[in-house]
Amino acid sequence: MKKMLLFSIFLLLLSSVLSACNSSDETTAATEDGKVVIDFFHRWPNEPRKSFYDEKIKEYMEANPDVHINVNSVLNDSYKEKIKVLVSSDDLPDIFSSWSYSFAENLVSSEKIMPLNDVLNEDKEWSSSIIESQYDGFKFDDETYGVPFTVDGKAFFYNKAIFEENNIAVPKTYDEFISALDSLKQAGYEQPLVEGLTDTWAISHYLGTIFERVVDPAVLEKDYKAETGEFTDPGYIKGLEIFKQLTAYMGDVSTAMDHEAARNMFAAGEVPVLYMQFAEIKMVEEAGNVEIGFFDFPAVGDGKGDPTALTGAPEGWMVSKTAPKETIDFLKFLTSEETAAEFTKTDGQLNAVKGAVTPDNVNATSQEAYELVTNATSTAPWFDNAVNINIADVFMRGGQELATGQSTPQDIMKTVQQEAQSLRE
Amino acid sequence: MIARKIPLIPTLFLLPSLLFLSIFIYFPLVQNLYNSFFEFSVFSPTKEFVGFASFQQLIQDKVIMAAFINNVKYAVISVLFQVFFALILATILEDKVFRRIAPALRVIYFMPVMISISVIALLFTFVYNPQMGLLNSFLELIGLENLAVPWLGNATTAIYAVIAMSQWQSIGFITMLFIVAIQKIPKELYEAADIDGAGKIRKFFNITVPQVKETMFVNVLITVTGSILVFNEPFILTGGGPGFSSTTLSVLMYEQGFGKDNMGYASAIATLIFVLSAIFALIQIRVSGTGKDD
Repeated sequence: MKKMLLFSIFLLLLSSVLSACNSSDETTAATEDGKVVIDFFHRWPNEPRKSFYDEKIKEYMEANPDVHINVNSVLNDSYKEKIKVLVSSDDLPDIFSSWSYSFAENLVSSEKIMPLNDVLNEDKEWSSSIIESQYDGFKFDDETYGVPFTVDGKAFFYNKAIFEENNIAVPKTYDEFISALDSLKQAGYEQPLVEGLTDTWAISHYLGTIFERVVDPAVLEKDYKAETGEFTDPGYIKGLEIFKQLTAYMGDVSTAMDHEAARNMFAAGEVPVLYMQFAEIKMVEEAGNVEIGFFDFPAVGDGKGDPTALTGAPEGWMVSKTAPKETIDFLKFLTSEETAAEFTKTDGQLNAVKGAVTPDNVNATSQEAYELVTNATSTAPWFDNAVNINIADVFMRGGQELATGQSTPQDIMKTVQQEAQSLRE
Repeated sequence: MIARKIPLIPTLFLLPSLLFLSIFIYFPLVQNLYNSFFEFSVFSPTKEFVGFASFQQLIQDKVIMAAFINNVKYAVISVLFQVFFALILATILEDKVFRRIAPALRVIYFMPVMISISVIALLFTFVYNPQMGLLNSFLELIGLENLAVPWLGNATTAIYAVIAMSQWQSIGFITMLFIVAIQKIPKELYEAADIDGAGKIRKFFNITVPQVKETMFVNVLITVTGSILVFNEPFILTGGGPGFSSTTLSVLMYEQGFGKDNMGYASAIATLIFVLSAIFALIQIRVSGTGKDD
C-alpha cells in the first residue's frame, strides 16, 4: 500500500515535469470561440503609455469582435533582453515595438521578421502618411521591416531664467558653450551641466553626437560598419577629450546617478543645462516649473564633421513572419493619424505620422522640436544603435572611466581598435 | 547465492532528486561546456565552431582579471565578516547575559535575510545616494562631510559599497546557523570549564570554536562559493560600473551573453566560474577534512 502511494506520487511528479516541458508547443492562432489571437508586445509598462495602449486595444477589439489581442510589456533594458530571447525561440510576438538601425538589423537577421514592402505598396494612402525619411532606420537591402512611429532627437536644453539672469547668450559654437558653462560655474552653479552616467546609453548619446561633429562623415560611415570599421581617425580621441571636458562640469555625483535623477534636478531648476531627448519635454514640464529652451549640440571649431546633423532615431513596430493577417490591420490602426494625434497628446512624444503633431496636441517647445526633427538635413542614429554593441560598450564603459579619471582617451581607442579588428575578422 | 537486491524504496526516494539534478544541473553544465567551443548569438540560427578561441580570449581579457579580483575581495571580506564576526555575534546572543532579549535580537538580525535582494539593492541606492542619501547625510550630521563621497559612483569605493550591503544582508543567516550549532554543544562542557575557572574568552576559544568547526566549514563554503557567483548586488546597484570597477565574473558573463550577444564567450566565462568554485570547494573539503570527525 505504502509502495503504491509512493509510486503514484513519483508518477505525479514526473508527469508534471513532462507536461511543463510540453505546454509551450501549444500556441495556436485561434481561441476556443474562433477568435483570431494577436500577441502584442511593447516596452511601456509605465504610465501614461500603458493605459493608452490598453485603451486602444479595447477600442480595437470592440470594433473588431473576431480579434483578441494579448498584450505584454516590459521596460526598456529588460525589453531589449527579452525580445532577444523571444526571437531566438519560436515565441516571437505577432507585433512588437523596436528601435531602428542596428537593433532592428539584429532582429531582421533572425529571418523571423515580416518584410513589409508589399504591404506598404498595397496601401499607399496609409504608408505615405508617415514621414518618408523616418523609414530609413528600418530598411535593410531595400526591404522595409518596420513602420516608424515615434520620432525623437537630442539637444541641449537650458533654463531660460538662469541664462537671462546671468546674461548668457545661447551658444553657437563649442567654445562659446564652454565659456557659458564657465560663467555659470562662476555664478555659483557647482554643476552647470548634469547627466546620469550610470545610464550608459546617455554616454553613447553624447559620444554619438560629438563624433558627428568632429569626425568626417565618410570616415564615420566606414567605421560604423562592423566589416570595415577601424576607428583610427584622430577625431575619436578628440571627441573623447571633449566628452571628458564636459564631464568636468557635471560634478562627482554624475557617475552615481541615473538620467532620470539628472532630469529631475534640471526640472527643479538646480542645474541650468541638460542634454536630453525631445520626448522628455513633457516630463520636465510636469516635474517642475521652469521655462526651457533648447539648442543643438554646437559646432566644434576645427571639427571635420557635419555641424548640424541631428542625433535621434525613430522607434516603430515590427511584425513577425508567422503573424495572422489581421495583424497588419491592427498595425494600420496603431499608426493611423487619429491614434498618433491622441498618442502625442497623452504622452508628449512626437510621432512620424503626417498631420498628427499640431499646436492642438503639443506645446510650443515641442512644436519647435518637431520642426527641427522633420527638417534636419541629416539624422544620425543613436550611437549604441549605429555601431556594433561590442564597440559601443567599450565607448560607454570608457565614458564612465573618463568621468572617474580611471582611463585616458588613448587607452579607450586602443581597446576600440582591438575590438573593431576582431569584428572585421 | 542470491544476487544482491537493489532496495526499492531508497532508490525511489533518490530518483526524483536525481532526475531534477540531471535535468537542471548536470545537463546544462555539459551543454554550457559544449557551447563554449562555439561562437554564436541569440539571433544567429547556426553556431560556428571555434575550438579554444574563447578560452584564449579569456586569458587575454584584462576585464576578467579585474572582475576576478573583485570576486576575491568579495570572498575575503565576506569570510571575515560573515563567518568570524557572525560567530562572535552568535556567541554573544547565546550568552546568559542576553538570554532575555536574545530572541528579539535574533529576529532583528535575521530580518534582512527574508527581504528580496532586489528590494534591498534598491533600498541601498537610496542609502548611498550622493545628494540625499542616508549615509552621506549622517556623515554630514556628525561633522565628517569630507568623508562623504558618491559611494557607488566612485571607482575605488563602488565595489566596497556593494560588498558592505551584502554583509548587512547575509550576516543574520550565518549567525542563525551558528546559533543552532552553539545550542547543540553539550552544557556539561561549559559547566566543567566553569569549575576549572575558565573565563568567557577562554571558553569561546577552547569549547565553542572547536565544537562548531563543522558549521564553520559549511559557512565558509557558503560564503566563498556565494562570493564567486555573486550577481544581483553589483548588477542592481552599479551595473558593474563605473567603468568595470565593480564588475564581478557573473555580471561580466551576463553582459557578454545578453548585452553583447557573445553567447559562446559568455559560456566560456561560465565554465571559468564553475571551475573556480569547484576548486575552492575541493580545497576547503580537503583542508577541513570534513566527515572524518573525531
